[in-house]
Amino acid sequence: MVMDSDEEDFVFFGTPIEREEGVSSRKKKALAEASGNLRSLPAWKQEVRDEEGRRRFHGAFTGGFSAGYYNTVGTKEGWAPQSFTSSRKNRAEAKQQNILNFLDDDEKAELEGRSLATSSQFDTFGFTAAELARKQAEKEQQHRQSAIPGPVPDELILPVTESIGVKLLKKMGWRHGHSIKDMQTKSLYDARREARKAFLAFTSDETNAQVESEPINGDFEDLLELPADTGSKPSKSTPVYVLNPKQDLHGLGYDPYKHAPEFRESKRLRTSGGREHAYSSVTKDNFSKSRNIAPGFGIGALEELDAEDEDVYASGYDFGTFVEEVEEPSRPSLDFQDRPRLTGKENGILPGFRLSSNSDHQFQRFDPPVIPKDFEPHHRFAGPLEADRSLYDPPPPESPPPEDSNLKLLIEGVASLVARCGKLFEDLSREKNQSNPLFSFLFGGDFFGYYERRLWEEKQKRNQSKPHMEGKFSVDVPKMTAESRGKILGERPLERSATTPTSSVMPADVKFQSDLSETFTKASVPSGTDEVSKPYRDDPAKQDRFEQFLKEKYHGGLRCTDSGGASNMSEGARARERLDFEAAAEAIEKGHWRKEFTEGCMEPSSTGGMQFTSGGIEQVKSSKDEDLMTKALYPKREEFQWRPSPILCKRFDLIDPYMGKPPPAPRARSKMDSLFFIPDTIKLTKVEESAITSCDTLSLPLDNQQSNCIDEKTSEDKVEVEVVGRPVDLYKAIFSDDSDEEKETSIVKNVENPDKKVQAANTTLNRLIAGDFLESLGKELGLEVPADRPISSNQDMNPSEKEIAHASNGDINILPVHDRSSAVPQRISQNYELPQDIESAREGLQPRENKIVSGGPREDGRHGNVKLFERSAKLHVDNLPQDEKIRKSGENRSHSSSEDEKIRKSSRRSHYSSDSDSDLSSDHRDRYYSRSKEKKRESRREKRRSRRKHSKHRRHGSRDSPEKSSRHRSGKDRADVKRERE
Amino acid sequence: MVAVLSFEREMSESNLPQKEASVLKGHEGAVLAARFNGDGNYCLSCGKDRTIRLWNPHRGIHIKTYKSHGREVRDVHCTSDNSKLISCGGDRQIFYWDVSTGRVIRKFRGHDSEVNAVKFNDYASVVVSAGYDRSMRAWDCRSHSTEPIQIMDTFQDSVMSVCLTKTEIIGGSVDGTVRTFDIRIGREISDDLGQPVNCISMSNDGNCTLASCLDSTLRLVDRSTGELLQEYKGHTCKSYKLDCCLTNTDAHVTGGSEDGYVFFWDLVDATVISKFRAHASVVTSVSYHPKEDCMITTSVDGTIKVWKT
Repeated sequence: MVMDSDEEDFVFFGTPIEREEGVSSRKKKALAEASGNLRSLPAWKQEVRDEEGRRRFHGAFTGGFSAGYYNTVGTKEGWAPQSFTSSRKNRAEAKQQNILNFLDDDEKAELEGRSLATSSQFDTFGFTAAELARKQAEKEQQHRQSAIPGPVPDELILPVTESIGVKLLKKMGWRHGHSIKDMQTKSLYDARREARKAFLAFTSDETNAQVESEPINGDFEDLLELPADTGSKPSKSTPVYVLNPKQDLHGLGYDPYKHAPEFRESKRLRTSGGREHAYSSVTKDNFSKSRNIAPGFGIGALEELDAEDEDVYASGYDFGTFVEEVEEPSRPSLDFQDRPRLTGKENGILPGFRLSSNSDHQFQRFDPPVIPKDFEPHHRFAGPLEADRSLYDPPPPESPPPEDSNLKLLIEGVASLVARCGKLFEDLSREKNQSNPLFSFLFGGDFFGYYERRLWEEKQKRNQSKPHMEGKFSVDVPKMTAESRGKILGERPLERSATTPTSSVMPADVKFQSDLSETFTKASVPSGTDEVSKPYRDDPAKQDRFEQFLKEKYHGGLRCTDSGGASNMSEGARARERLDFEAAAEAIEKGHWRKEFTEGCMEPSSTGGMQFTSGGIEQVKSSKDEDLMTKALYPKREEFQWRPSPILCKRFDLIDPYMGKPPPAPRARSKMDSLFFIPDTIKLTKVEESAITSCDTLSLPLDNQQSNCIDEKTSEDKVEVEVVGRPVDLYKAIFSDDSDEEKETSIVKNVENPDKKVQAANTTLNRLIAGDFLESLGKELGLEVPADRPISSNQDMNPSEKEIAHASNGDINILPVHDRSSAVPQRISQNYELPQDIESAREGLQPRENKIVSGGPREDGRHGNVKLFERSAKLHVDNLPQDEKIRKSGENRSHSSSEDEKIRKSSRRSHYSSDSDSDLSSDHRDRYYSRSKEKKRESRREKRRSRRKHSKHRRHGSRDSPEKSSRHRSGKDRADVKRERE
Repeated sequence: MVAVLSFEREMSESNLPQKEASVLKGHEGAVLAARFNGDGNYCLSCGKDRTIRLWNPHRGIHIKTYKSHGREVRDVHCTSDNSKLISCGGDRQIFYWDVSTGRVIRKFRGHDSEVNAVKFNDYASVVVSAGYDRSMRAWDCRSHSTEPIQIMDTFQDSVMSVCLTKTEIIGGSVDGTVRTFDIRIGREISDDLGQPVNCISMSNDGNCTLASCLDSTLRLVDRSTGELLQEYKGHTCKSYKLDCCLTNTDAHVTGGSEDGYVFFWDLVDATVISKFRAHASVVTSVSYHPKEDCMITTSVDGTIKVWKT
């Protein structure tokens, strides 16, 4: 180190020995410290070092290194004494020491009152005031002579001025010694507690034992939730009494009985005498819980004690525990709650006073007023539409119309408007046209009678159409419309279908369904809430939230993360409410479903506390009847497709029924389910003696004659047979590539069936193309599709369409077949809807088109579509209604489980035992399998896909496909088929 | 007339095993299930003490104890050749045992929750388990894979009981359904009984399913049509899993009650033919001898009782 300066004057041999390994590193450290690097270290890791980087000893107390200047007490400047004044010369001037000499700067500042403190105005807690008082006292003490040094204790106590906060609080009604709390919530809480208390008192007779232990538990929770507030009525900010004073010598929070609760009780008995009751009630609960653990076998050291370990067979096991935990902390105790107050009172008796044995003040309890049964806690304003009342209005007398046709028109127009818009419109127009003589009929003028009559007629007309719609599927099922069916199936009604059939003139601007998910969301509930269920009727805000919740729940797309809930609600409350809503929604849905299943004969009985306003026509039957209905309802049989895994079949020594079929697309479980509310398997609901037909093969009601004929025909040409119950594979439809699928299907077909591959491919493609074309055509022409097509027509076509499909290959010889089939639906459903009538009417006129139409909803009908395409290419303008039909049928196809409906309905009429029926179907399927094995291995799934694609294509509009040329061959192909048949 | 009826009744009653032949003691705590083996010479029991015990019920001897489960054992079944055992329980595992050595050959893990019931198929090649996790799982005993070969998860609630036929897997669930999975035709048939199903058992002819529901009713359902054939009432079954079964002749239905009674009903007219107090506490399980008139019952009181005519 010394040599540093004259290094160059010497010659060195060998390598210098580094004496101190720390020299350079120390320096580095010192440097680093200087530059602040070490500052980043936590305080206890930082070291104090001198310039050389050596650690400095830091005195005995801190046990460290370095104090002062080089381990001296001095400073760098040295130890500078105060300026020396000789006491000899000016002794009197001897410097008087005062406190300032010994204070640091900050202390001085504090002393002089220059420090930062709360100004007295905002001095809520009185700290500043106390400080000021202390200083004041100190100052005064300096001036006052006293034997006892220091301030007099009294002087230190100063009245604290009320801070602004206190003033404000007082203005708001707060008083000293009370907790600051929302008075409203408190009163609300009190009310609820009172109610619970009443309830408890009511139930205590039956469940004495429960009440004894549980309420305490509940109240304990309450205590935790609202500390220091539960007990006394005017809630004190200061706790009246400490629940569990610490009296032992254990550390805080240490519970010696944590793992040995048995001993707690004995300990308690030994120690506490006075407050036994309160304490025991708390501990008893814990104790009894631990007692429930099954005897004999403990649990391992690593295992936790769960609910599972509790002995369910022990007599005292409370099965309701889980349910109660979900509920908000309820059930206050009767005695425990009063206890703090009571003890407080007892202790708080002033000396010299005595509690009077009887008090003048007595609580008088009144019974709650009896609420009339029909009372609705929600006020309903008389809506502008007084449809219900006008139903029962007596018709005004007939009166002659005015001669003036203009006036007549005017009156009629106003009447219809008023009927549509309600009384309000009448009042408005009356006001407006007060002076207008033309409107004198409004004021009881000449033609008031006629106006009245017209108005009544209009109202009647409207009412007829409406209850007709509403009561439809609660009264009789055959009248089901597409709308109601969609409701059942959980589809959002198409926009057009919202209009009633009376308004047959549709607007020109037709909006096509753009979003798939919109179509397939569960609309039944959101729409249902309006008329069917208002579970939270008492609380409009909550009802609103509930509806919002439903809307979001069934919106189809992604659920938005913060759904509903008032902003002022706590997270917990929101979650709880959400749970509530889920349950309510489920219950509503269930009620809905059940209603539909029982065809409106039964009220939803098992919905618990839900309130349902029944849909008008339904009659409340006696409970006996209900019981019978439930009995009739159960057991309910449903069938689903289920795919056993190949290895399972192998292990059971069975032939895999799905052998050779490609695996099904992954089922939309869990996540997908919650996204789109779609049944992933097609349900076949079987009511009573109904027959089951397989949905994945031919889901046709197997009438004797017809099934035979189907079988015959299906054996002849297979291309048409593969009608597949298609689950709504929405995910696929959206995300998979269409063109790929198409090719795939056609390729598969080609490979499998060399004989018919060309034909099959062509027909498929033709169908697709035709569908596309029609779709786009419809769009261009701005045609709308009447969506409320009765299901009956759809279903009734079912048995016939097969024949038709085959028949469509031929030309004229189909007519008899067709006639027969068309006779079937008429036999079945007596109530035809309008469209059906039209259809049947058209049937007579244009057999060919009708054939096509009725074949529409099924794949088989695509032959027809192809044909139609050829026609419509030429005269598409003339064939408008026909196109309409086709497209309509295409839309019907998108109803996922329309087949389900069909089966259900058709099964009603075919009274076969399911035994024979399932045999039939399985027979049929077997044949189908064998056939498909040898000829076409195309999977059901693929079919579905292609169909799916097909319908999607329609939405997409026509696509210019290279196979267009093949379309022209289709005629020839059909001819081939025909020949083959012959 | 009355005399004749009562005579007939006595005749039928005399066939029923109502005399306590022996009491099998050994389990500590509740015995949750007891099952006869294929020929009825032995029986297996399992319980809350995490053990499975093999007994000779006719001589009243305890033969062997199988210990490995970490929690209570809820169900046990034995292959028709008596060489293997399968058991399940609260530890969410299914143990595949070798009977003679008492060793666990394989453990099947996969259920997300407790496993309520387990059964072998006829060939002892597949084990089907039913769990609280709303699923039934089929496990392969032949391969070394521990993954289930099939999961049936269409249930809405805990699956309480499982039955196997040659071609079908039947499960009863708390959601009120009895679901039949037909492997041969690839079909799932769901019979909704409307009440939580506790236990299902098959009639010996295989045509009917007897389901014990939590509304204290046993329901007999025709398997082919799903029709409700009969309801048997009188006992208490509201909160526990209680077994029920048909007698070996399919003439009577028997089941335990929560008050310790055992009930016998006439299969056809559903009258209570006999009931007697068998145990001090809940009768958890009943098992009927495949050929003789012999029955074993188990109870929460820790005993297994053998009943004979």
